[in-house]
Amino acid sequence: MKKEWLARGIVTLGLAIAVVIPAVGWWQQPQGIVVHAHMAETGGWTPENLTAEVGKPLHLRLTSDDVTHGFAVGRLDQPAVDVVPGEMTDITLVFDKPGKYTFYCTRWCSINHWRMRGTIEVTDPNIKAETAKPPLYVTLGLNIDAEHHTSAIPAQMPTAWRGALLNRAIPAEYTNRDFYLSHSPVDLWLALRSEPSFKDLTDQDVWDQVAWVWQSNTTTDEIQIGGELFAANCAACHGENGAGDGVFADQLAGDTGNANADTSMGAHTLRPADFTDPGHMLSTSPAHLQGKIIRGGMGTGMPYWGPIFTQDQTWALVAYLYTFQFNMEVLK
Amino acid sequence: MIDQTPLKKQLSHWWQWTLLSVLGLVVFFVPLPARATTPIDQIFHIDARRFEYDPAILKVNQGDRVTIELAATDVVHGLAIDGYNLETTADPGKTARLTFVADQPGTFRFRCTVTCGNMHPFMTGKLEVGQNSLLWRAIAFTGLVLIAGVWMGRK
Amino acid sequence: MTRLQEIPWVEKVGLNEPAAQFRKRLQPPGRLNLYQLAWLRPLIESQWPQFLIRMLTLASFVFIIAGGLFGSLVGSHNIAIIFVWIAWWTALKLVFIPIGGRSWCSICPIPLPGDWLQQGGVLQTGRRRYGLNLRWPKRLRGSWMQSGGFLLIGLFSAVTLTDPQVTGWVLVALFGLAIGLSLVFEKRAFCTYLCPIGGFSGIYAQTSPVEVRIIDKEICIKHEVKSCYQACPWGVYPVAFRDNSACGLCMECLRACPSDNLALNVRPFGTDLGKPKTSTHLDETFLALVMLGSVVTFAAVFTGPWGWLKSAAFDIGSLPWFGYASAYLAINLLLLPAIFSMAVWAGQKFTGTWVSFKRAIATQAQVLLPLGLMAWIAFTVSFALPKLNLVLGVLNDPFGWGWHLLGISEIGRMVNMAGISMVFQVILLLVGLFWSASVSGKLSAKSEKKSSRLNLPVLAFCLIFTLTMLWLLVG
Repeated sequence: MKKEWLARGIVTLGLAIAVVIPAVGWWQQPQGIVVHAHMAETGGWTPENLTAEVGKPLHLRLTSDDVTHGFAVGRLDQPAVDVVPGEMTDITLVFDKPGKYTFYCTRWCSINHWRMRGTIEVTDPNIKAETAKPPLYVTLGLNIDAEHHTSAIPAQMPTAWRGALLNRAIPAEYTNRDFYLSHSPVDLWLALRSEPSFKDLTDQDVWDQVAWVWQSNTTTDEIQIGGELFAANCAACHGENGAGDGVFADQLAGDTGNANADTSMGAHTLRPADFTDPGHMLSTSPAHLQGKIIRGGMGTGMPYWGPIFTQDQTWALVAYLYTFQFNMEVLK
Repeated sequence: MIDQTPLKKQLSHWWQWTLLSVLGLVVFFVPLPARATTPIDQIFHIDARRFEYDPAILKVNQGDRVTIELAATDVVHGLAIDGYNLETTADPGKTARLTFVADQPGTFRFRCTVTCGNMHPFMTGKLEVGQNSLLWRAIAFTGLVLIAGVWMGRK
Repeated sequence: MTRLQEIPWVEKVGLNEPAAQFRKRLQPPGRLNLYQLAWLRPLIESQWPQFLIRMLTLASFVFIIAGGLFGSLVGSHNIAIIFVWIAWWTALKLVFIPIGGRSWCSICPIPLPGDWLQQGGVLQTGRRRYGLNLRWPKRLRGSWMQSGGFLLIGLFSAVTLTDPQVTGWVLVALFGLAIGLSLVFEKRAFCTYLCPIGGFSGIYAQTSPVEVRIIDKEICIKHEVKSCYQACPWGVYPVAFRDNSACGLCMECLRACPSDNLALNVRPFGTDLGKPKTSTHLDETFLALVMLGSVVTFAAVFTGPWGWLKSAAFDIGSLPWFGYASAYLAINLLLLPAIFSMAVWAGQKFTGTWVSFKRAIATQAQVLLPLGLMAWIAFTVSFALPKLNLVLGVLNDPFGWGWHLLGISEIGRMVNMAGISMVFQVILLLVGLFWSASVSGKLSAKSEKKSSRLNLPVLAFCLIFTLTMLWLLVG
């Protein structure tokens, strides 16, 4: 009889250990909110909405349930971390300013990768949240959805250093930042073309000047940052060479009657814009581009990056986009 | 019971086994007819999606300098070649490049190294460098082994 | 484990048997009786060592189910997937079956609750026993349902092998089924007639170097009670063992025999093979063919470079999946049985021998066993070896919850064993073909006719199978 009870005891002990270990492990998890990442089509972030307080650290434990994702918080100076399937990544966020922050996935995980976002509502009992300023295109009254095209395009790609070499004084009203932000390259070209002192220059020369003005409104560092942002966030749809031929482009081409159009999430998507098309790109002002980037494409499949990029990051990206039209190399 | 097997039969058994062993050594050591080729540069563009590589079978000659451009078309994928100790990872929109000299002959599997979903452990392709001498020798051996096995069983 | 009577151990000497003869009898010729080794015997005779190992597998089983159901959804980081389909499967194919035959069955946790309910106790029989103890229906006997079970796994293998929750639920279902059947039918009905693992372990056990057999038939004839039969949880009769396919190596009969007439023998590999079969049951043949068809299909789907095939196998319910399912079933239910039967028929015709067709098929099916076993080992090596580093990872963090049980923070990539692995697979296949050919040779040497010609078509079948596997694994 003793043998039997001992045996039953061992059975019970073994089963208890098998069940208790995971239970204890589950209860005794290190401090932090567990956030599961899924591709947007299968749920996105869970939980999607978090709250935090200014100055109090927010501990998160991130894991992915399907493919490699990444995690970053828009407008917060915190490097992105990878969210790896089956593994836990611990991260601690500290907020200085209150407001609604957006966290997002940083590694392409599907065609709807950009929709993988959540919010962190950060409150501060003392300070009221700043009211946001409207973006430039709103102040300028630009209709960023309107069709636009120009037929005044250069024969060759304009080169900034050639424009600099011409060494002709360009009126100050055209070289200041406000003009750059609110006018398209073809606007500047038309203005310079009608400038009497430039009558002797060829059309191509004037384009080179435009390129030079464009380059003088940015720096190599800014273009580099823009390039990195483009590679990480835009190239998958717009193509690594900006021609609107990224790996997801075919699936987005909706209204052309393409059978592969992605109509998930109730969207009629369009083929991504081709930044190498001069007729289109040269008639777009930086403010217009900024608006499109911030606001997104109203159901065309173009994500809205407003909550994600800082102002500086957006202008860097805009500056980079013009490198598909202008050669803005700096000669040493 | 005294072994009454005639001497002749015993000798013929011994002869059969020696012949098989010699053939076996030949199959093992004889070099395969190698087509003399000058090494060239080869570039392969591979699209990776869940759960396949396109193209999945690459053929090169021994000594070629091979560049693989890995373009991920849906999620992050990786590529590592068995036997060559090479690995790379590609995000959609960021084509990754891997360049190496195919100095070892044979057929090597390459696999995905970034968890990309359920069938990720089975996402594979093949790199065929020159002749697959292991396969040819194995096939030759199957013949010898078949005969040897039957003799063994009938003894 | 069931029905263990308390046998008085004093009665160890056989009826009227002189001591010298007794000692000589215990080591049968050509065999090494492990049960008589002084250092090993106490470990087998006592129920505790085996019991403790079984408790380990039972607790692990429950833990693994918990992992599958509640742990990370990512297969490669979940103990359920890695332990069941990599660690345990590799151990089964490389160690348990080739060396021990059906030895996994002796420590498998699945039948244990059923056994305990049937006997009313864990180590000793109790007064209150549960279960209706019905006899298994005659129509459903044989290994047909085990083959069917294996085909079912094969149809859904792409999802089962990769989704932790599916694996978890499958294990729960098998557990529940085994317990349920034990409450209705006598003995281990699930293990004998339904478990696919038991099915192929059984047929391949005929190649193994370990066996349980009686030593001297005369002693058994004189023994009225047949305590070995009473003790056996599978309800088989050890006296009548011709081959290993039904014996789960649980050692109960060895413990129960009052005359020490049962031996746990080490013997040459494949001793069960090469004898003409007298039965006309084709269930073992069918299972052997299903194993061949399945290993070829799985090698193509899982280790091949054809993504469309993997997607077809994975998208259950889609049109390509129905194509895959139809092809898989056609190969196993139609193609291979037809080709093999034709090969047997042609072989009989050419050699001029004639036995009943069914008997000939059952006999020639033995030729398929060594090759099938080696092919499965080679396939296991090809897909499991590159992933063994994942075993360390799940021991460190079984549920994918970020634990560090072993103190490891990052699992490095597996040491590159690709070259050795391929050579190893080739060697395994060649050994299998050699062995199968020798079984065929043995069978032909035993035939009645003087000319004793070989069954060449069956050998050709084996050759083609080997070449196909070589191309899939190494080509």
